Amino acid sequence: MHTVLTRGNATVAYSLSVLACLTFSCFLSTVFLDYRTDANINTVRVLVKNVPDYGASREKHDLGFITFDLETNLTSIFNWNVKQLFLYLTAEYKTPTNQLNQVVLWDKIILRGENAVLDFKNMNTKYYFWDDGNGLKDNRNVTLSLSWNIIPNAGLLPSVQSTGKHTFKFPTEYSASSI
Amino acid sequence: MLDIQTHMDFEGQAKAERWSRLIITFFGVIGLVYGAVVQQFSQTVYILGVGFLLSSLITIPPWPLFRRHPLKWQKAVNTEPKSQSHSPSESSDEGKKKKK
Repeated sequence: MHTVLTRGNATVAYSLSVLACLTFSCFLSTVFLDYRTDANINTVRVLVKNVPDYGASREKHDLGFITFDLETNLTSIFNWNVKQLFLYLTAEYKTPTNQLNQVVLWDKIILRGENAVLDFKNMNTKYYFWDDGNGLKDNRNVTLSLSWNIIPNAGLLPSVQSTGKHTFKFPTEYSASSI
Repeated sequence: MLDIQTHMDFEGQAKAERWSRLIITFFGVIGLVYGAVVQQFSQTVYILGVGFLLSSLITIPPWPLFRRHPLKWQKAVNTEPKSQSHSPSESSDEGKKKKK
């Protein structure tokens, strides 16, 4: 500690060590929290068409088309260790060709400080509901669920599913109308 | 170059190191508690930054309070200059005798 530079170096290094401890304490304070909450989902329009999937082969695959309602309140999820939430709406179903299918239809980023009370009515999906085959027509058990990914300041990035889900079925005939 | 003396004596160095760690730790704890209360981690980091600046101001410059215990150097010993009657060879003989 006998020159200015030595003392300066010691002070900076100690400050950084203390900052590391504080960040770890911030992580510890939130690692056991339960980030689940309820969400109300509903479908309004449900159609299915059978069109060529031009991105893949020229075969005809099922293309689902839905509009949905979503109502939830996520303000209790935010704390000092949550920078933002990445929400995504997943449709999960089973077909004769595939045991489990999961398709993400819509997502949203909510930053800390933004409004986290969601009340969407008759919302369009962001992404196409392509099936890997023809398994959507007359599918009785398609479940929509909302999940969120927690982006923290320090620590783990858990992916949490809401406690509310919604199951609907597709019509038995393809729709002829153009959307 | 600036000719500023930046030394501290040993007691002062110990005092400076202890004070810098105390100040930074204290502000770290205060920052953690305040950040948890308002639920903003940015406030924790800012308070720690204030603690760092305060500690730098108090312990890095060599204030007089860190120079209260200067080292007690021994008095300088003046070596007598050699008189002109001695020849250089005799001086070297004396040097050779001493090496035994």
